[in-house]
Amino acid sequence: MKIKFKIRRYNPVDTEASEPYIQAYMCEVPEGMTVLEALLKIADEQDPTLSFRKSCRSAICGSCAVSINGFSKLACNTQVIPEFKKAGEMLIEPLANHTPLKDLIVDFVPFWRKMEKVSPYLTPAEGESAPAVTPEDEERVDRSQRCIMCGCCNAECNSLAIDENFIAPAALAKAWRIVGDVREGNARRRLHRLSEEHGMWDCVRCVHCTQYCPKDVAPLKAIEELRSSAMKEGITDNPGAKHVEAMRDSVERFGRLDEAAMTFKTLGFLRSLGMIPFGLRMEKHGKLPRPHIFAQIEELDEVKKIYEESERRAKEEKRELASRKKGW
Amino acid sequence: MVIHDIVIIGGGLAGMRAAIEASRAGLDAAIVSKIYPVRSHSVAAQGGINAALKDTDSWENHAFDTVKGSDYLGDQDAIELLCKEAPFDIMELEKMGAIFSRDPEGRIAQRPFGGAGYPRTCYLADRTGHALLHVMYEQLVKHEVVLYDEWHVVKVVVEDGTARGVIALELSTGKLHRLHSKAVLIATGGYGRVFRTTTNALSSTGDGMGLALDAGAELMDMEFVQFHPTVLKRTGILMTEGCRGEGGYLLNSKGERFMSRYAPKVQELASRDVVSRAEQTEIEEGRGVDGCVLLDLRHLGADKINRKLPQIRSLAINFAGVDPVEKPIPVKPGAHYSMGGIRTDFDGATTVPGLYAAGECACVSVHGANRLGGNSLLEAIVFGRRAGIGVSNFSESNGLLPFPATALKEAAFEVADITKRDSGESPAALREEMAGVMEAHSGIFRDRTRLTDGLRKLRDIRERFKGVALTDRGDYYNNELLQVIELAQMLKISEAILLGAVEREESRGSHFRTDFPLRNDKDWMKHTLVSLKDGEMKLGYKAVTVTKFQPQERKY
Repeated sequence: MKIKFKIRRYNPVDTEASEPYIQAYMCEVPEGMTVLEALLKIADEQDPTLSFRKSCRSAICGSCAVSINGFSKLACNTQVIPEFKKAGEMLIEPLANHTPLKDLIVDFVPFWRKMEKVSPYLTPAEGESAPAVTPEDEERVDRSQRCIMCGCCNAECNSLAIDENFIAPAALAKAWRIVGDVREGNARRRLHRLSEEHGMWDCVRCVHCTQYCPKDVAPLKAIEELRSSAMKEGITDNPGAKHVEAMRDSVERFGRLDEAAMTFKTLGFLRSLGMIPFGLRMEKHGKLPRPHIFAQIEELDEVKKIYEESERRAKEEKRELASRKKGW
Repeated sequence: MVIHDIVIIGGGLAGMRAAIEASRAGLDAAIVSKIYPVRSHSVAAQGGINAALKDTDSWENHAFDTVKGSDYLGDQDAIELLCKEAPFDIMELEKMGAIFSRDPEGRIAQRPFGGAGYPRTCYLADRTGHALLHVMYEQLVKHEVVLYDEWHVVKVVVEDGTARGVIALELSTGKLHRLHSKAVLIATGGYGRVFRTTTNALSSTGDGMGLALDAGAELMDMEFVQFHPTVLKRTGILMTEGCRGEGGYLLNSKGERFMSRYAPKVQELASRDVVSRAEQTEIEEGRGVDGCVLLDLRHLGADKINRKLPQIRSLAINFAGVDPVEKPIPVKPGAHYSMGGIRTDFDGATTVPGLYAAGECACVSVHGANRLGGNSLLEAIVFGRRAGIGVSNFSESNGLLPFPATALKEAAFEVADITKRDSGESPAALREEMAGVMEAHSGIFRDRTRLTDGLRKLRDIRERFKGVALTDRGDYYNNELLQVIELAQMLKISEAILLGAVEREESRGSHFRTDFPLRNDKDWMKHTLVSLKDGEMKLGYKAVTVTKFQPQERKY
């Protein structure tokens, strides 16, 4: 099957075309051929100036993530014909949320810097003998350690798109790999740092990272684990945790979410004043939540029961962990 | 020009392990790698890493299995070191942060592997290399090792017989840089890409072996190329030996478990050379299925496949269109691993003072004529660590010697010689031709005629290579230029493989000569050495070290 590949080309030092443009290549594609194989064929037979990263061609080295028809994917792991049939075209561009350097090659330096920022290595507690890792301990971090650092999650991240300083899902998945490790000795300190601005609470939970991860790492799951661990540790002096607490309190008191009150509880009175212009713009678009007139739902005691039960479970969990720690 | 105590070429498992050791010794080590370290091909190792951990096993058993697997060509003193130190390194990897799969009691689980008399392969599902490479990267970040990633070394600079540093091409800009150091360590992995069907990454072009030859070091046992028995037909993607370790069968077109005829005792778990030859024989005698045999995992059940071999399942689905839970996977042998490499001692030292090597690109030799599965990650870790110490000791006792003033100019001249040609053959086409020649003439079954024909064709390609011309005239990420530089080294490596293979008139391990089908211990208990003199390759030999285990017939 002959398929037209539209590839975004870019070479900043090309005097004739220093702006990005789309170049088309016709390529004969046999059944089973992957996008990476097609790119290699195009580079070998038609245009050796085409630049892209690649290495293992078996979805484990993480080199070849690109945008295929608008979505971040590994070129080596995507078959051309089914993709072409589904999308009706074959448009290949550099990963989003990353600065293109040449053709499909993007600047990965920010990605590595974010990785480094979470101190991505185990720091066992000093002087204690390391606990044995059980199959359950392994299970807990297993998905996060499948990460191949391809950058698909960061490329699809909505928070990173508006804040380049956001730590972003890939590094957060790595952070959970370490924090969630039963042998880690500095989890609390790490959670404190992750709770700072541009940290884990800046995720808006759009689920893109999990949706586009080619290795089933589920970074959002890791982010939720991190947030939950931080709150259990009592690290709540930040807008993210306060927001969650406000939600919890609202549901506990009224049985429902009082959206109008959330801003004050999350940001405090003074910082909420600064949100007034934003609130006015929301109002203009009919988006400003109204306070409830009858805030409380009827069967509030049922909600109370749920709260009691979850608190009892949390205590149990804590006791179990403490008794395990004693055994080490 | 930048200055470091040690320059390490290659950021795979061995290179990073060495860098960490140098860093622990308080030295300033830098890694230069054409790809970012976590992209290195160690990442693709699937099955596991061997160590005698249990009371019912012993390092002597591990050593015996390794010696037997090597078809008695491995140096037994080196193998002893490897097997004795293995448990320490496994524990250290866990201390660094790795988590190996556990057994129900919470101990490190171990699975059976080919050629091993005991289940001693530690693993993390079927992603062992990935887990270890990423842990090593974590340590690299922790130790703040300097990285020059996407820099490709074009020359190891040697003056008055000692290594002084390297010249590297910064791929993003096309600029050449000088890296001046007290010592240089090569850890660039294998050369699988000289063959057409290979499990190896696109970047496994054996660069370091070529650099070492140029620098005056010796290559050893290059004719020994491991063909892995279970790779996917079209792409060469690896299906781990763990598939058979977990109980998978190999079937021919008649549905027979044909290995019972070749290795009655252990069947599918014979060593790799034995299984690959058996498969090739089945295929050539007409009992194959479309040029393949079948790897059958169905009887393991979906649950075990999902738990122990999840990556294999998705690779088979995505790259061969077969779900192993429902259907057997068509597989065939493919070039996988280089037993040979840069000759080193136990501490990674080559014959050139200040030049060290470790990992797949090196030859200590622990794998001899055939490597056992699970021993390559182990070699990278044990000898990566040892070479890290070796190169640190060298640079502590030797000062920084001057960097020759003309080295950069010479390298620039060589690169310009390639880029200035107006017209000529395409490097990509020539690379394909080379891979075809190696596949046809230096494969699983060899004989004098096939090999000498191959050598003649290869030398013809080598001559034509001098006239290749680039289409890409740019400086930024000029991948074609990188390919030409890689091809130059691959041509040298191919020649070394063929030369050694023509001369070795016996069959041992992975090297099978149909015109000399038996092992000949009287004449060939020796390593082949290749060196470069005035642009021509010279052969030499060196006796094999035998300590505990006298050669005996090898049966599985």
